[in-house]
Amino acid sequence: MFKTLAGRALVPVGLAVTGFVVVCCLLLYSAIRSGINRYAVAEATNLADTILKSAHYAMLKSDRETLATIIRNIGAQKGVEHVRIFNKRGVVNFSAKTDEINRQLDKKAEGCIACHSGQVPTTTLGTMEQARTFKNSSGKQVLAITAPIYNEPECFNAACHIHPPSQKVLGTLDIGLAQDSLASSLAIIRTQMIIFTLMTLALTIGGVTALLRRSVFLPMRRLRDFVERLNEGKGPMPENPPHLPLDLESIAWCHLRLVQKLNASKENGTKPE
Amino acid sequence: MNNQRQPTTTASAPEPDVRERLIQDMQREIGRFQRLSSRGLWALSLFLLVCLIAWSDFPLFPLPDRVVAMLGRPPSPQVISIALLIYTFSALILSLSRMTMAMEHRSSFSHVGYLTGFFLFYHYARALDDNYWAVIGAGVTILGVESYRIWTYCNEAIAKRREDLEYVRKTGRLPPEG
Repeated sequence: MFKTLAGRALVPVGLAVTGFVVVCCLLLYSAIRSGINRYAVAEATNLADTILKSAHYAMLKSDRETLATIIRNIGAQKGVEHVRIFNKRGVVNFSAKTDEINRQLDKKAEGCIACHSGQVPTTTLGTMEQARTFKNSSGKQVLAITAPIYNEPECFNAACHIHPPSQKVLGTLDIGLAQDSLASSLAIIRTQMIIFTLMTLALTIGGVTALLRRSVFLPMRRLRDFVERLNEGKGPMPENPPHLPLDLESIAWCHLRLVQKLNASKENGTKPE
Repeated sequence: MNNQRQPTTTASAPEPDVRERLIQDMQREIGRFQRLSSRGLWALSLFLLVCLIAWSDFPLFPLPDRVVAMLGRPPSPQVISIALLIYTFSALILSLSRMTMAMEHRSSFSHVGYLTGFFLFYHYARALDDNYWAVIGAGVTILGVESYRIWTYCNEAIAKRREDLEYVRKTGRLPPEG
């Protein structure tokens, strides 16, 4: 393949174009996925903050029944895989799943380790650090947000609980949202990009191949056939070479004149000039 | 057709040891080009080894947290991706232009170094999982084109040297230039 002009011309072009287009698509898909994930995390964090603000009054009045109802109703919402509030000791006080209540969570678990990795727990986290993705027990991809419940002046001045002002975090809201629709959107984007890449490659490489074949390789093959026929001496001597692009036609004319002179000198029995 | 030739001065036949020296020099040149022709493949093999190490998250390297603590925050993955795109494009253009000019340039192993740098930058920016295949794609493309360039250059040089060697064996002197 590499001995022919076609192989030498098309292989490096094909390799370079294919490789570059594939790299561009991979980087673009990675950037799109990263952007979509960041947006999903921002929306989930917003939702967690909304839940905390909605439950704020119930927590302030220590209305546990209302708070439990709020959590249960949110947990029944489509797309919410789990929602729970646990206290500063890591015990689940409220949950949409009743079997989780009063269960102690492991501080080293994913979602908890971000704040509890050191001796003194961290009290603030960036938006992306509050998020984690995992597959739950039913095999669904879940995006979970951990939102701390901060001790505000209204809390430590209220008459019902005694929260010392030094306690910065009273508990944590943990909400998990199903990522099925996000995963299917990414799959659609991925398929569209693969199709676009294949079409671009087919057009580019196909176009270059077709143009080269039409403009270069076919005329060169006609020239080669003409020269071989002249050398073999088969058939009558043609008067003109076949119609070729200008560059190749001059080569064909030179060869034809050379063979005509050689034949003429053989017939005359003299040496060619 | 111009049949006029410049009269050549006849020189005395070179001594056998001069001819032997010429032959040995040419054979050494041919051997050099034969060794050079596989340079691209060695670079590609080294790159694949680096890819395997990157797949295992650079086990013998310091952890990203320690490096970030020592050197500060790495560039964002978007900046690294833009740099990778510009590097891939430039490297391909450079390689294709060297191919056009038939230059003998041995640049394969430097590309392995640059690509290893990209792997490390993504690793310390904690974005290697998302961009691993992009770096591999860039590496295979660049090193593939470079391998092809070096291989075709060396093959043409070997063919020319073999023709020259044949000429030297017959006449005992170097062929005329051109």
